[in-house]
Amino acid sequence: MKRTIIATAGIAVGALALAGCSSGGSSDDGVAEDGSLTLTMSGWSVETTPEFQLLADAYSEKNPDVTVEIVDYDPAEYNTLVTADLAAGKGPDIITQKEVKFVTTFQEGGQLLDVSDVELPDDIGGAESYVVDGTTYAVPYRQDSWVLYYNKALFDQAGIEYPDGSWTWDDYDAAAEELTSSLDGANGAYAHSWQSTLQGFANAQNDADILAGEYDYMAPYYERVLALQEAGAQESFNTVTANQLTYQGEFGKQKAAMLPMGTWFVATLIAQQAEGEADDFEWGIAPAPQLDASTTGTDQTPVTFGDPTGFGINANINEDKVDAAKDFLAFTASEEAATALAEIGITPALLSDPVVEAYFAVEGAPQDELSTFAVQTHETRPENPTSSKTAAVQNILNDMHSAILSGSEDVDGAIADAEERVASEVGLD
Amino acid sequence: MTTTATPQRAPRRRSRLRTRNTLLGWSFILPNFLGFATLTLVPVIVLFYMSLTNWNIFGTSQFIGLDNFTRLAADGSFRTAFVNTIYYSALHIPLTIIVSLALALLLNNKIRGVAFFRTAAFFPYITSIVAIALVWNLLFSPDYGPVNEMLRFVGISNPPGWLTDTNWSMPAVVIISTWKDMGYYMVLFLAALQTVPRELHEAARMDGANVFQRFLNVTLPSLRPTMFFVTVMLTINSLKIFDLILVLTDGGPGQSTTVISQFIYRKGFEENDFGYASAASVVLFFLCIIVTVVQFMWNQRKSAR
Repeated sequence: MKRTIIATAGIAVGALALAGCSSGGSSDDGVAEDGSLTLTMSGWSVETTPEFQLLADAYSEKNPDVTVEIVDYDPAEYNTLVTADLAAGKGPDIITQKEVKFVTTFQEGGQLLDVSDVELPDDIGGAESYVVDGTTYAVPYRQDSWVLYYNKALFDQAGIEYPDGSWTWDDYDAAAEELTSSLDGANGAYAHSWQSTLQGFANAQNDADILAGEYDYMAPYYERVLALQEAGAQESFNTVTANQLTYQGEFGKQKAAMLPMGTWFVATLIAQQAEGEADDFEWGIAPAPQLDASTTGTDQTPVTFGDPTGFGINANINEDKVDAAKDFLAFTASEEAATALAEIGITPALLSDPVVEAYFAVEGAPQDELSTFAVQTHETRPENPTSSKTAAVQNILNDMHSAILSGSEDVDGAIADAEERVASEVGLD
Repeated sequence: MTTTATPQRAPRRRSRLRTRNTLLGWSFILPNFLGFATLTLVPVIVLFYMSLTNWNIFGTSQFIGLDNFTRLAADGSFRTAFVNTIYYSALHIPLTIIVSLALALLLNNKIRGVAFFRTAAFFPYITSIVAIALVWNLLFSPDYGPVNEMLRFVGISNPPGWLTDTNWSMPAVVIISTWKDMGYYMVLFLAALQTVPRELHEAARMDGANVFQRFLNVTLPSLRPTMFFVTVMLTINSLKIFDLILVLTDGGPGQSTTVISQFIYRKGFEENDFGYASAASVVLFFLCIIVTVVQFMWNQRKSAR
């Protein structure tokens, strides 16, 4: 009796083990017999990020024998999860590049196909971020840049003139302080706690390369922010982090009259105002404040920063699908796709006139000319240089950012420390 | 009518019985051991190999010998992380032991509502770490938080910045961490206190010992095995602390709360330098092992006395 129990248990364990060891890849790999293809594409928060499904459906409409399937990943851990899948050989055919910091990881690991032969429209923004050693590894479909949002109602209340596109940072500071003293219960400005809120502008407007290891040019920016905090014109960094304030809440609930933020906020603000989550007030977009007067005014091109989001192709993709994949990439960068994206509030990489028109045709979008100028005309420098050292350098700069703005270290000392750390831990180019 | 077996047959039957017992024992352990082997043991062995390479998750790795370790020795961030880990452990371990022991002594009496108080003390241990981080961040908020409001009310005009100040961030983290862990260790101490023989206490009382003397001479020595276990577990957990710091401060402000585990996570998952991160993991491994071995030897010597 005991022996039969043991024997049955042994066979059960063996059967389970064998079942677990079954082969994983006996699928047809997306190529059907009649020539129709399925391309898998990685995306995140598919329900709340409609752009992926939009592009997939639009492409399938034009090309009925190709279906684009979206693989949903967790947004906070997207890069780690995609990396794990790629390392296991189960990655998607089209790899969405969520962050430029990870492009070199994929590229150096041989995961991205050379897509230099995919034709891109002339004025498309952000394409250089995907070029490594002269070879293009991905194609941008979207490029957000940083602009200045302002609350027209609060400006009217304080009796101060709207930004007119000619502001430098000094003008911005003056307006913030004036607004704070004239308004009751709202601050002049809000600066989110991310390192990019300050360093992005500093890098772009000084045309600096963070990999070069010198950061003195950031000092004036930090001193300005500390002065603003001191004057009470914006919430201190410590309060923002400790109370976990959200920029959507601060601007949307009219607790701050001005907000430097990326163009992705346009769609969110419109949606939140429509649903009543944010207050109903008139707002506009102005070009980001500039370093000096040479790039201000609507007859110049303001300098700001931003990174593209793009698609790359898995280097291990089935041979028969390569052409369809490249065609998909070309489609997502085209004006047709850009117009469709603009209609749902995404800032496409291609900002031709029809695209911008569609962008502002959305109900709730600001209708003034300055807003159109701010979104369409800008020199957007990359937030993250495309290099394998970027992630390490940005981590060091982030430590410096929190050390300075929390008031724990003085500006010059912290910058000197960061320069030393970059030189010793990462190594200069 | 049993053992009339001849000497030749007895050994064979005994060894067959022993083999059978051994196999039975193994089959009980095997499922758990298989899980342990595949999910823990094999990765740890691979880790040792990885620390000698420059693997970055894709493709092949190159064997680079002890380069990662020399790089670690010269790395200022790693030194900061190491010092922070020791600082955290040095504050956290004694504080937690004292607080949980005190709680256990207090709640060892049959007062009314003792079950409620015990549950209340244990509750932080099972609370979600993200919830803890959110709430404590708000509590410690330097301008608007209740803690600083109370301190200002009491008369301290310049209360510390807690989690936003590089000097106070680690003590703040230690406070939160102690609050979280005290329930668990309190339960262990409570169980141990129940096993202290009452006759010893009565004998001591009759000999004229006061409460404090009884505590030192009766309670503490009886608690030694549990105290040893608690210290070893606390030490290992303190050296490995990761998730609480990640959600509370993410190593900030500056690098004031960066610990070794977090350094490993950053190097591995954010900067994709897995060989280097593995080397740091190996250092942490040896740190924990050495400290534990020292504690074991200390305990051996004490219990031999």
